[in-house]
Amino acid sequence: MRLRGALVLLSAASLVLTGCTPQTDSLLVYSGRSEALIGPLVERFEQQTGIEIEVRYAGSAELAAQLLEEGANSPADVFLAQDAGALGAAAKAGLLETMPDELYSLVPAKYSAADKSWVGVSGRARVLVYDPSQVSDRPKSIFDLEDASWQGRIGIAPTNASFQAFVTAMRILHGDARTLQWLEAMKSGAVIYEKNGAILEAVEAGQLAAGLINHYYWYARAKEVGTSQMSSRLSQFEGADAGNLVNVAGVGILESSDEAERFVEFLLGSEGQSYFAEETREYPLVGGISPADKLTPLADFPSPSIDLSDLDTLAETLELIRQAGLI
Amino acid sequence: MQRPPIAAVALGLVAALASLIPIGYLLLRLTAGYESALVELARARTLELLVNTVCLTVSVSLTALVIGAFQAWLTVRTNLPFAPFFAVLATLPLAIPSYVLALGYLSVFPWFSGFWASWFTLSLATAPYVFLALSAALISSNYAAEEVARSLGKNRWQVAIGVTWPQVRPAAFASMLLVALYTLSEFGAIALLRFDTFTRAIYNAYRGSFDRTSAAALALVLVVLTLIVIYFERRYRGDRWQAPTSRGRKRRIELGGARVISIFGLALLGLAGAGVPIASLIGWSFNQVSFDLLRLGELVASSLLVALAAGIIIGVFALAISIWNLRFSSRVSSAVDLTAWAAHALPAVVVALALVFFGANLVPAIYQTIWLLLLAYLILFLPNALGLVGTPIAQVPRSIEEVARSQGLSKNAALRKVVLPIAAPGILAGVALAALTVLKELPATLLLRPNDLDTLATELWQATEVLAYSQAAPYALALIIIAGVPALVLNAQARKLISEVS
Amino acid sequence: MPLLEIKDVSMNFGATQVLSGITLELESKQLLAVLGSSGAGKSTLMRLIAGFDAVASGSIVLDGVLLSDSTTTVAPEKRSIGIVPQDSALFPHLNVRQNIGFGLSRLAKDVKEQRVSELLQLIRMEEFAGRMPEELSGGQVQRVALARALAPKPKLILLDEPFSALDAELRQQLREEVRQVLRAEGATAVMVTHDQEEALSLADRVAVLREGRIIQVGSPSEIYNSPADVGIATFLGESVLVDGKVAGGKILTDLGSLSALNNVVEGASGVVAIRSENFYLQPNPSGDSEVVGRVFFGHDALVEVQTPKLRIRARSNGPFAPEVGMKVTVWVRGAVNFYPAS
Repeated sequence: MRLRGALVLLSAASLVLTGCTPQTDSLLVYSGRSEALIGPLVERFEQQTGIEIEVRYAGSAELAAQLLEEGANSPADVFLAQDAGALGAAAKAGLLETMPDELYSLVPAKYSAADKSWVGVSGRARVLVYDPSQVSDRPKSIFDLEDASWQGRIGIAPTNASFQAFVTAMRILHGDARTLQWLEAMKSGAVIYEKNGAILEAVEAGQLAAGLINHYYWYARAKEVGTSQMSSRLSQFEGADAGNLVNVAGVGILESSDEAERFVEFLLGSEGQSYFAEETREYPLVGGISPADKLTPLADFPSPSIDLSDLDTLAETLELIRQAGLI
Repeated sequence: MQRPPIAAVALGLVAALASLIPIGYLLLRLTAGYESALVELARARTLELLVNTVCLTVSVSLTALVIGAFQAWLTVRTNLPFAPFFAVLATLPLAIPSYVLALGYLSVFPWFSGFWASWFTLSLATAPYVFLALSAALISSNYAAEEVARSLGKNRWQVAIGVTWPQVRPAAFASMLLVALYTLSEFGAIALLRFDTFTRAIYNAYRGSFDRTSAAALALVLVVLTLIVIYFERRYRGDRWQAPTSRGRKRRIELGGARVISIFGLALLGLAGAGVPIASLIGWSFNQVSFDLLRLGELVASSLLVALAAGIIIGVFALAISIWNLRFSSRVSSAVDLTAWAAHALPAVVVALALVFFGANLVPAIYQTIWLLLLAYLILFLPNALGLVGTPIAQVPRSIEEVARSQGLSKNAALRKVVLPIAAPGILAGVALAALTVLKELPATLLLRPNDLDTLATELWQATEVLAYSQAAPYALALIIIAGVPALVLNAQARKLISEVS
Repeated sequence: MPLLEIKDVSMNFGATQVLSGITLELESKQLLAVLGSSGAGKSTLMRLIAGFDAVASGSIVLDGVLLSDSTTTVAPEKRSIGIVPQDSALFPHLNVRQNIGFGLSRLAKDVKEQRVSELLQLIRMEEFAGRMPEELSGGQVQRVALARALAPKPKLILLDEPFSALDAELRQQLREEVRQVLRAEGATAVMVTHDQEEALSLADRVAVLREGRIIQVGSPSEIYNSPADVGIATFLGESVLVDGKVAGGKILTDLGSLSALNNVVEGASGVVAIRSENFYLQPNPSGDSEVVGRVFFGHDALVEVQTPKLRIRARSNGPFAPEVGMKVTVWVRGAVNFYPAS
């Protein structure tokens, strides 16, 4: 009978799949960074320490939303996020435990949470990617992009966390009114994209003259297709421009344990930091480890003192962006 | 009215309760902070998004109808050469996730974006629903009546509108309902094509400000929209006429000179809906340097198992509800049916988060296990299967059942031995469609899967996040090939559906 | 001038010749029955007349207008030919009134209403005007289908086995009704059927179709009494075939010397077809034949009789039919049909 047959098949399938009850003895990490990137690092950690780690991969924002829903009953131990906003959300909901001092002090305070709920792991700089054949005169300031000559030639991704963080920086440096003006100029003149990656693609294809992205995207692509194949170039604004903001990817501990702390320690150790420097050309944040060559040293970047994870500030920034009609 | 089988009632109630979980969650979130919710809703931008969404939904539904009708008419009613081939071609877009479709076009035409691109992509992606429904309906419609109408002085067009359309209307409307709700909930493709819809606002609320209250408010608006769409569909669908079986050979209309243009049109649609994306994926695959065949095998196996399990579960529930609502209908059964549909326009991320909340806090034993994921699939895709399973069950004449009863079979036995075998093609089609949709599903899978379960869709997503398109392409192709199987099954069964009954 | 003229029409499906050399004429206000068993090509002929298929050769002319020939086929909607298909095919989404009025959309509203009422009265279904097809019985459905076809006063009506779905009693009743309705409307009709009773009782002219050819055309009594060949003779009515040889203007058979209606060529041998009702059984204790079986139908009986050389079946009056075992003398009444062997 059909029903019986269906049940048999179902039991068979479930037998195969129910090896999947969540393990409680290993460390559960929620990673907003991809498996391709984090996977090998996790393996190395497991080999070196013998600690078993289980990782759940998804988007940082989705994981944050998941953590918020799970609340106190979350099975996760560690949250590794691509951007500070996601960590901030978790912190605001009271899900992150205070980072032990010896770990927190490894990284310059401006790259971590003010309340010590999370710590930065690697840095990414905002840059301008441009097509040399279309752009002869590189913009010196972020505000140059308001000019009519950039109409339809500049790309931005307003829903992206890094962009929003950069707008926050602009607000702090130049005030809300000026920022709104710039945003409105972007609304009428810029091409809107969903992701930084798409902006890069467009510039590479010659579709777009320039765009605002994070630096490591360019390197990721160069790795994929070969540096010699890249037609676009990176550029930074002059001086302590808001457009040169450095963002961080960070980690927070939800459930304190020896294993969790050791994992964070590993990420902030020389091996972890060099790994990020090599693999994605991000900036190591722990002192003493140099970034990959050809990158502007971190110290040379302007860094307005903003708590990148301050959600209330973020909410205001979003409000402004919305007001301009960008999202 | 007799009492329905206990199993049908039990399963129906379970499904209804499951579908209420996301709605309950939304209401919960809303009550937590309705002021910010109202602020969100009152925003001018929200209105703009609503208008965008409604325009897109209406235009895609109508376009899908035109495309599906064109394809169905030509392959079923005329003497089109290679008709079976074109029928398969028309079903093929079902095997392609809409974000892959969008990606396929974007990689060839980087300027492809905005309203028209979204309209184009979604119309192609959803036309197969209409095609399948109309094919089945056209096969079963009364051919002789059309000839009589012509003898009474009506030309071909007047016959199509006055005689054929009233008979296929229920099928057309039912499939358009699926199309409309799909468009309402769609995010992946539209995001890539950079068109702002309501769903986008919801996603932004979750990701940007982590404001679950406003997200919940927006999501509830989608539920309201769903109910409105369902209301209109039920109101204007028309009744299902017990069409008398027409004897004699079913004649095919001669196309004559129109043959060339018809083939051209169908080929163009096939190219647009399947050819271009597949070709661009193949192109990307060639950039791939190394390729892990073992990993691919693992992913294929897990994807298939999950999809099959989900398909069967959904099929069983759909059968239960259909039997209850169509054979033993009552107020309760109608309410159950409506509830199953109410959550259908919600973006998958909302359903997933609702289940995260539900699972982590209320039933941690199944949290992050396959069971919660299967529950999510049930909530998300039950309506897809309901239509397909329901159609043959509705059409089995009661007299057949009565004969079986008079021969000594109990009510349940009569159902099992007589109704089910006749409804078998529909059930199989429902399972195939559910499995197919599960194969392509992404957001809910990402949020609810067990930590070590990867599917082709999630792997595909991982690769595209880091822009490794050439890495993603083989997985996308594998997904399309695998999904092609249930798509073909669906096609075959949908066509068999009515011939079994008449 | 005949209203319908079909000249030398032929038609094929691929390699098979389905109809060949069809020539028929029909006068206005008459009913022509095309009689043939299944597969003879009746439905194909209907479709050609209605315009749903094209003729391979020949022509079809209605009221002086050319409808079909090898180069042109006028569209069905322009032919003014109504059809009543085998399964009536009422429009399921319209009620009786709307079904009947379907072809009248070009008329003014009041004219249309009047016409529909007229027809409703004619088929005696005024109370059912608002019913849906699925609520009607088999006989009612056929009547509505007929009214629908007649509504626009077409030049010709085609009926495709209209009574085959009905039970015997209903069939009888409906046949008469249909004939009345057609007469009342002054309609010219072509009906195809495999039922000989139907054809003979309803039609003014009968055409026998076999394997795509017209074998014989004539009035019902002509066809019945003088079937053109053995095939028709045995198809219509119950016949006995007896070998015979022509001698002296009569046919010599094992049943005696019989006078023939046709084909009397001196010296020819062939077969004689004798209808069962042509036998007269005379009770005779010293007769040379014996009744060996009897099937009693009430109003008549089929009696099986063993003559010295043959066994025959004779139709006899019910109450007076001889019993089994009785001795009888077998006489043949009237002239019979002789078919020489070819």
